[in-house]
Amino acid sequence: MSLRTNIQRWIFNKESAQSRPAEKLPDTERKPTLAQTLDEYKDCADLIHRTYPDIQVEVLYFGHMVNKDLLNREVIALLLNVEPDEVGNLLNQPQFKVANDSKGLIIGILSGQIAIFRGEIVYLADIRGPESRSVTQSETETVITGPHDAFNEEIDINLSLIRRRVKSSHLKVVKLSVGEITKTNVCVLYILDIVNMDYVDEFVRRIRAIEVDGIYDTNMLIQYIDDSPISIFPQFLTSERPDAIASKLLAGRVIGLVDGSPSVVSAPTSFFEFFSSSDDYYQRWSIGTATRLLRFIAFGITISFTSMYVSVTTFHYEMIPENLLLTLTESRSRVPFPPLYEALLMEVTIELLREAGARLPTKIGQTIGIVGGIVIGQAAVQAGLTSNILIIAVASSAIASFVIPSYVMSASIRLIRFSLIMAAGIWGNFGIAIAITALVIHMCGLTSLGSSYLTPVAPFKFKDWRDTFIRSPFKTLIERPSQSRTKNRIRNKMKK
Amino acid sequence: MKEKLSCFHAAILVHMTQTGIVIFALPGLLAVQFGTNGWLAVPLYFIVTLINVSLIAIVYRVGEGKSIFDILERSIPKVMLYPLYVFLIGLWSLIGCIAAKKYILLFQLIAFPTTNPMAFKFVIDLLAYALIVKGLYNIAKTATVFFWLIIWMGLFLFYFFGDLEWVTFTPFVFQGGHHDVKTYFDIYAAFLGYELSLLFIGYSDRKTRLVKAIIWGNGITAINYILICLVSFGFFSLPQLKSLFVPLLDLLASIKLPFIERIENLLYGFFLFSTILTIGMYSWSAKEVSQRIFPTVRSRFLAFVIVLLSFIVSFIPKSLYEVDKWLRLLAYLEFWVAFGLPLLLISVLIVQRGSKGELSHG
Repeated sequence: MSLRTNIQRWIFNKESAQSRPAEKLPDTERKPTLAQTLDEYKDCADLIHRTYPDIQVEVLYFGHMVNKDLLNREVIALLLNVEPDEVGNLLNQPQFKVANDSKGLIIGILSGQIAIFRGEIVYLADIRGPESRSVTQSETETVITGPHDAFNEEIDINLSLIRRRVKSSHLKVVKLSVGEITKTNVCVLYILDIVNMDYVDEFVRRIRAIEVDGIYDTNMLIQYIDDSPISIFPQFLTSERPDAIASKLLAGRVIGLVDGSPSVVSAPTSFFEFFSSSDDYYQRWSIGTATRLLRFIAFGITISFTSMYVSVTTFHYEMIPENLLLTLTESRSRVPFPPLYEALLMEVTIELLREAGARLPTKIGQTIGIVGGIVIGQAAVQAGLTSNILIIAVASSAIASFVIPSYVMSASIRLIRFSLIMAAGIWGNFGIAIAITALVIHMCGLTSLGSSYLTPVAPFKFKDWRDTFIRSPFKTLIERPSQSRTKNRIRNKMKK
Repeated sequence: MKEKLSCFHAAILVHMTQTGIVIFALPGLLAVQFGTNGWLAVPLYFIVTLINVSLIAIVYRVGEGKSIFDILERSIPKVMLYPLYVFLIGLWSLIGCIAAKKYILLFQLIAFPTTNPMAFKFVIDLLAYALIVKGLYNIAKTATVFFWLIIWMGLFLFYFFGDLEWVTFTPFVFQGGHHDVKTYFDIYAAFLGYELSLLFIGYSDRKTRLVKAIIWGNGITAINYILICLVSFGFFSLPQLKSLFVPLLDLLASIKLPFIERIENLLYGFFLFSTILTIGMYSWSAKEVSQRIFPTVRSRFLAFVIVLLSFIVSFIPKSLYEVDKWLRLLAYLEFWVAFGLPLLLISVLIVQRGSKGELSHG
């Protein structure tokens, strides 16, 4: 495209193309045949091809993807013992489904079904054998009280964990497939009559519009369907906890499960939702409220402590009371760098420690923590590389960042902290104000599935504050969050 | 679907647009102009704004929620309206631009005196651009967040309660003032901003209860001003107040907490939140008007041009004295626009109603 055309497009209101690519029409549906299917799987040594000449039946499947017991019991034994004239009746049983198009057949075999060819008709039987890790505790979202089970990588198990908690026929599931090559199964869940169907339609539309060779995780999927992909903030909430996801369903959210990922996405979401944890609901409301408020204080600390240190020690010494000033000057007297470099050095070191600790096995991770703690805590001060007070500021802000329950949000906030430190190093308090202004302007423009990211602060919904900044007693939590835009708002009919 | 403003958002937007740099000088201006108990003039100004709001309410009601541009363009040829549009674009973008410059120059009284003010101006203009391209609904959301981010500063007023000298609230009212005509307009500048709500009409529906929102916004501003001025008149003596250039800053400078003191530059930094809204709203209004002249041009580009031009213009006034002179003139013009524009719209609506009545009868 020429420069002139680009400039014209920027100046004038000519939206030549929609921002999202148009959906492709499905391939021409073809009748599946054995020859064609075998041709498709040419050179796939792991494909098992069995023939039953007596009854003129051939079967295709991947041995490692099926449940062997089920295969023998439900298919092989039946086919071996059936009379030729009874084959038709046998295959008319409900567990055998006719495959009408070759694409569906190919995907079926790939996902662990068995294909049975009889004449021109092809049947598929679901005998998948999930080889997956068992349901264990989540390592990223641990709670003290409440259920400890967590999702794993198998989508069927994850579905069952949700269904066990939401025993309602109104819990609906839309099955989708993403990835031209990986053909990853994605399930979209919602509760009919509670969810706003506009959200479901939009969520499904966005997933269907993904054109990529493969996806491997929920956190990867959501980056394709984000409202603002370049933003630093996560715009969809992910959780590994079935109880949290069940509560999101009841709140009128749309849920997305990706096969092979233990994270489950909930949409729409707001910035403040990332500060709540399942624990808040399993403890007394007063404890839940205090903990939640603590997290918001932690947010304030993590973004402001180090930047305030830099700002005050670089430009605004007058802000420090006399008694504290002496200690601070003494502490900084041996440090040869400006506060900005000093702070960045420490923050980067803390991030290195965190990253190293996260990648290493737990025992070695602990050692790294101790070694790092001693090096940073004492040696750096003794060597005159940094001041004691900065150590306190950096450590406090690092600890505060880990108080935020969502790891994804915590990582984003830690990155924002760096921009605030830089701004403080350039223009002091004014720089901090500029950085916060820019941050707020950016966040106010963000949406999650089209609804405001800063709900219930902007747009202002005071009623929702009862389950945002505090966790008020259950009897007062009468309505579902307004962000769900549900018609069925009342969730609690108990009298106060 | 285009999201409409809610009543709360519109009220906060009006309040945040009004709250700008004049707040720092307001107690001083009131002391100079009205003398003793000058803070009592704030409710009087509030009443004047209410009269103006009633004119806007008539436009809203009689115009049945139509945008002011639609009302004007229905009866007056566009070519005739262009001079008015160009005037409004110039006035509103200049108010935004000069307000920003004044904010920066005031800031340089307390910090970074040697830095080129245009460096600060450049960054503030970038923020203003980022704000206005997001549209009115998002600006209103931003205003709400900023409102919560600065409203807590009101708690500092309690800090001064122990230091208030009740003797300064003499039984004499409005004694020792200059009662200069120009200064009346200077003080009124503190309330200006509500008149931009004329442009909200196209972005509101019945649920917005726009008139109520404007009154609420205005009311919050008035209460805010009354409290600040009351504390200032109690904390400083009248001669002190008259001699102080920015009394609010001096008031903030006297705050001492156990772990921090002299926080005026930090708090002044936070006033960027309301100042950016004032700048953003005036620039956004200028952009809205320019969109009527260039309907095919993208609003982003128009916003860019407006911000760029106002950035260039802001190189001209160098000192606070010059900036004040510009602001005085602009506030004077804006006062007449605030009253004149609704009156013009009401007359146009009366003519439209008359011709509509003739048509239905004839």
